[in-house]
Amino acid sequence: MAETPPIDATSREALAELLLSVADDEFVIGFWDSEWTGIAPMLEEDVATSSIAQDEIGHAKVLYELLAELTDDDADRIAFGRASDAFRHASLMNHARGDWAFSVARRYLYETADQVRLAALTGSTYEPLALLAGKMRREETYHLMHADTWLRRLADGGNAGRDRLSSSLECLWTDAQEIFAPLIGEETLVREGILPEPMRAMSITWQARVRPKLEPICGALPAATPSIDGRTRRTSDFAWLHGEFTSVARSEEAATW
Amino acid sequence: MNDADTIQPLNARPPYAPGDAEAFYAHVGTGGKVEADDWMPDDYRAAVLKFVEMHANSELMGVLPERDWIMRAPTLRRKLALTSKIQDEVGHAQLLYRVAEDLGKPRAQMLQDLLDGKTKFHNVFHYPTRSWADVGIIAWLVDAAAIVSQQALRDSSYAPYARTMKKICWEESVHIMHGRDVVLTLMNGTEKQRAMVQEALDRWWGPLMQMHGPPTDPARDKDLHWGIKAKNNEQLRQEFLSIYVPRLLELGLTIPDPALRYDESIGRWEYTEPDWAELKSVVTGHGPASQSRLEFRRVNFADTQWVRDALLGNAAAA
Repeated sequence: MAETPPIDATSREALAELLLSVADDEFVIGFWDSEWTGIAPMLEEDVATSSIAQDEIGHAKVLYELLAELTDDDADRIAFGRASDAFRHASLMNHARGDWAFSVARRYLYETADQVRLAALTGSTYEPLALLAGKMRREETYHLMHADTWLRRLADGGNAGRDRLSSSLECLWTDAQEIFAPLIGEETLVREGILPEPMRAMSITWQARVRPKLEPICGALPAATPSIDGRTRRTSDFAWLHGEFTSVARSEEAATW
Repeated sequence: MNDADTIQPLNARPPYAPGDAEAFYAHVGTGGKVEADDWMPDDYRAAVLKFVEMHANSELMGVLPERDWIMRAPTLRRKLALTSKIQDEVGHAQLLYRVAEDLGKPRAQMLQDLLDGKTKFHNVFHYPTRSWADVGIIAWLVDAAAIVSQQALRDSSYAPYARTMKKICWEESVHIMHGRDVVLTLMNGTEKQRAMVQEALDRWWGPLMQMHGPPTDPARDKDLHWGIKAKNNEQLRQEFLSIYVPRLLELGLTIPDPALRYDESIGRWEYTEPDWAELKSVVTGHGPASQSRLEFRRVNFADTQWVRDALLGNAAAA
């Protein structure tokens, strides 16, 4: 790991917010997708989906570790020890797993947005993050290929698949914008080059890239922009998930698992 | 390559004429190997198919007890290890169904027979899970009991199965380390965590002792005779006890069988006779979680049918 550059308190706080938002995205989507393990539509796909979910959780782990180093905390404490309203994932990840088309739609929206975000982060002046983004990007390329393959398969696989896919995309479109929701301290991050591009600009790049892919499937998608509370809104689906993944730790406080 | 002993050279002919069952059985009875495209008697083919199909079913159904905990794994490391372990089991099911498919039964039919309760899966996967300690006990002891018999299957006369078992055994040994680490962490933890492990062991001990099946008469066990498997049930159980009883005691756990002891004079473990009636009842679908697990599979299979239909391009016909 490269030498951590000296960083002032304001920038550190903003950087922590950025790391947390990316880590929580990966953690929560990894948890939802891991729920397919053992019950995916076919055995080969079961193995593939599970592997992708593990990659996402693995990315969350290193991001939480980076954050823990920065804030003198513990990665597991951050992941499993927070109240549900302290999570900062985009509201795209607020929804339960849904059916296969819903999972494909969400993964496609997430992977394409993540690709834009990671491309920017590889240029971060905060070197540990730039290095990590480069590493994640290599894996995410395969995730994106997988999601893209499934998007096309379902779109071309007859009415049942197309209808389910189309309604999932419509349902998730607005919440997908929130991957680029403005961050607290974003101006500082951009000024310092920690975030090489404002979220709003990334959002425009992403939309320009995915609209031509999605609109032939589900028709014109409404105008949509990220909102200020895009990473703080929580749902009952997420409350359930949070209750699950904290249940063992809650059964015996302060124990090691 | 240590696979060389099980792979016949491409242009080699097995040392028996197609149709000569007597020579075939002499071949497998003396350690000879059979490849998928070799001629084999129908009863041998049926016996291998039944054996491998049950193994594949067990890997697939064995996913479900641990899957109960996939959303509840309590640390990042455990989450990764558990998901990866379960993924391995699905992968094993896929490999084994492929071995079975080559023997003439389509995968779709095997899955349907499993869902319909027409074919079986191992007794241990018919029981519910109750705590995080079950994750440790299953990965450590259930997988350990399984690996004892699976290691013997690396010598199976049916060579494609033997080769598959080599890969599976390697992965299972990683699962055992994960399970042991979960158990060890709990045993080094709080009073409540230790009690959780003991309670899990108390529940799983009976099924573990039944897992290898009742002692059989080796002369009448055709799977053994034909080299499909290499060790009899009692040998496997004795092997399991020899390795794991000392390890359990070392951790401070109590084995819930007051009659369990090693008899030096005859060199074997004595134990309370396992409940063979329970085993029979459980594997025929009357275990505490048999029907709920099958129903869970049926519901999920039905829910994802449209995906398989869409892929096969027969959505219109569905």
